[in-house]
Order: sequence, then C-alpha cells, then structure tokens
Amino acid sequence: MKTLNEQISEVIADEPVAVFMKGTPQMVMCGNSLRALQALTAAGAPITAVDILPDPRIRQELSAISGWPTIPQVFVKGELIGGADITEELSSSGELRAKLDDELGADRSQDVKVVALELA
Amino acid sequence: MAGMEADAIRALLEDAFPDAAQLDVVDRTGGGDHFLVTVVSGDFDGLPLIDQHRRVNDALAGPLGDGSIHELRIKTKGTA
Repeated sequence: MKTLNEQISEVIADEPVAVFMKGTPQMVMCGNSLRALQALTAAGAPITAVDILPDPRIRQELSAISGWPTIPQVFVKGELIGGADITEELSSSGELRAKLDDELGADRSQDVKVVALELA
Repeated sequence: MAGMEADAIRALLEDAFPDAAQLDVVDRTGGGDHFLVTVVSGDFDGLPLIDQHRRVNDALAGPLGDGSIHELRIKTKGTA
C-alpha cells in the first residue's frame, strides 16, 4: 500500500483541481470548505475532493507537503492556489476562471468526485 | 486548547509587519479561536496573494500549530 504522503502527492499531481476539505461536497463539515467549493463551482472548476477528517495524519502530511497550515487547501494542476479566502477572492475577480481556462481549457468538464485515501 | 485574545494575535502580526498601514484582528465568534485578520502593508507589494497569506500564516505559526487558532480568515493588501 502506498503511504499517505504518496497518496496525497498523487492526488495533488494528477487531479486537475484538488480540494482537501472537511467532509465531502455531499456533506460539507466546515463553512470554509463550503466557501472554497462554492468559489470553485462559480469559476467552472471540476472538483476532486479529499476529506481530511477520517484521520488527523492526513492533515499533518498535507500541511507538510504544502507548507500551508489551514484547511481547506485548493490545488490547480499540482499548484497550491490557497485556502478559502484566496479561492473566493480569485473567483470573484475572474482570475480563477481565467487560470482554469488557461490550464484546463474553456470546454472542461465540471465533474465533482471524491477520492478516499487508504489508511494503514 | 484555550482561546487567545485578539490582542495577542495582533502583537504577533505587529512584530511581523512593523510597517503595516492597517492591521485589524477580529474575534469572529468571541470564543478566542475564530479570527479574521486584515493586514495592509507595503511588504505585500508585488507579491502574489498566496505569498501574502503565507507571510501571515508564518507570523501566526505558533498559535496555528498548537491549535489555539481554530479558524483563520485572512485579508491582505499591498499599499502600492
């Protein structure tokens, strides 16, 4: 089995837009995670969500990788965009949509999916 | 973990951004663990938002790391 660190790194590297959040898009457990999801949806982003709540080690490993202390964390094409505040700000200014158009194409899918990490 | 006074957060930010044009800390719930901080500083001029927020996160690494801050909202701006 892959380590948590490897699994998290793979999600970040492989998913067009990865969101590490509390809960899932179907059952959001934190207002800030909700704000990030709404901002991404408004910008026409596909979303791959990872719930960090099942195990505290997920958050520890994630923050060690990203150097970002809080949740949620949003990555586009492997690059950390920021948390809820930045995602909201970039979404309302139109910068996020422009970046997504640039990185993923304007006719991208807007699928929402959830990836569950395997815990040892 | 016990909560923090907004003043203690403010002091950490003043240390990190001594030349800030504006520095506000709001305890959003009154519980001492949900904060909104606003920092306007020339230090941010030309920096992408993510790096501006990283600077604030770094200044508050202590209370973020030990769980005293449960939720942190950040607003930053340069002065240019």
